[in-house]
Amino acid sequence: MTRTRSSYKAALEALHQYLSGFVPLTKNEFNQLLPFVEIREFEKKVQVIREGEVERYINIIAWGLARKYLPLRNKEITIQLASEGHIIHSELSFHHRTPSGAVVETIEPTVFFSVTYESLQQLYDLSPKVERLGRLMISDLFIKKDDRYFDQLKKSTRERFLDYIRTHRQMLQRVPQKYIASYLNIKPETFSRLKHLLRKKA
Amino acid sequence: MKEFNNTAFFVCLYLITNYLRMLELLRQYVSGYVGLTNEEFAFLGEALVIRSFDKRQQLLQAGEVENYLNFLVKGLARMYFYRDKTEVITNIAREGQFISASASFLSGAPSSYFVETLEPTTCLSITRQQLEKLYRESSRIERLGRLMTTDFVLQKEAWELECMRLDTKERFLHFVESNPELMQRVPQKYLASYLNMKPETFSRLKHLLRRRPSPVHPKMKDW
Repeated sequence: MTRTRSSYKAALEALHQYLSGFVPLTKNEFNQLLPFVEIREFEKKVQVIREGEVERYINIIAWGLARKYLPLRNKEITIQLASEGHIIHSELSFHHRTPSGAVVETIEPTVFFSVTYESLQQLYDLSPKVERLGRLMISDLFIKKDDRYFDQLKKSTRERFLDYIRTHRQMLQRVPQKYIASYLNIKPETFSRLKHLLRKKA
Repeated sequence: MKEFNNTAFFVCLYLITNYLRMLELLRQYVSGYVGLTNEEFAFLGEALVIRSFDKRQQLLQAGEVENYLNFLVKGLARMYFYRDKTEVITNIAREGQFISASASFLSGAPSSYFVETLEPTTCLSITRQQLEKLYRESSRIERLGRLMTTDFVLQKEAWELECMRLDTKERFLHFVESNPELMQRVPQKYLASYLNMKPETFSRLKHLLRRRPSPVHPKMKDW
């Protein structure tokens, strides 16, 4: 991983901006949060949390790419694809302190800003502003989850494919096709076939 | 006149008792997240309105913005949307549970869902404005909001994983075992839709229940 100090600085600034989208934070207020944040670096294809482990962290991706999947008897179902600025972890395990059913795995070399469960509780006690930040971030997560759930139930395969590609163009280059297909609940063969639609639309 | 006074007295007493029982049910729910003091809970209680609905009444239509968060103290309601002309049910709630188009409530954007009662229903409701006022004035109540929203996210995640992990038959059995009383109260076609299976499949799977010892019914709250 050939990242310099300036990349970290830029990533921290991006984090500050991201959080300020929920609750405006001064430089000082943001700096008060940093002692609770760990920087974790992973190579590509590393399992960050394995099935059966208890999730210790909530992670925001500084840079890189990761996926969350559910390992079943004879296949894996991708539940989430996350890139820079997205939160990814095994949330049921993290909040309930139970063994994880899901696996989080990096796709590219990835750096996380991570907060442990214990640190997170301390952060919430720090100030009402952090409490608000937490509430608004989790509300945002709920809205996104509901959108995805609704899309899966309501939209046709073709619509799911086109809408995802339209809003996540760069993911098509960065993520193996089979993961995107699984995430969209589309058979790999169907996914390949649907790609023809893109050429016609160029 | 004296008789009238007596009646009025008992009606008042009934209403007050009923109101206190509603608040108690909410208090039980809330205390699972944050232990509020009497003052804090009273502060919350003052912001609530009681809303009553007949059965089959719509609380919200798709396209409208959800302004209320509803805690059911009596009755039964469902949330659904239309896929072409078919209703797809995404939530069924009973006493002691919340029902709202929560994504719309949280975002202020128009709802994709309808919310409709299945039985005569009473809820303790709070508007978004009132709730935001409470959040500004009490960080304990804001914490309650954070923890409840977290739980909504986790319930969604658990349901999503369960649907992936379990096949149709397992999903049916798991649901019936955790919600035995809904089998009596909710039309079968709605349960089938909620479990994402055809009504015929649902009927067929009911045979499995006869061979099993009947599930124990938890005592219903008597309102």
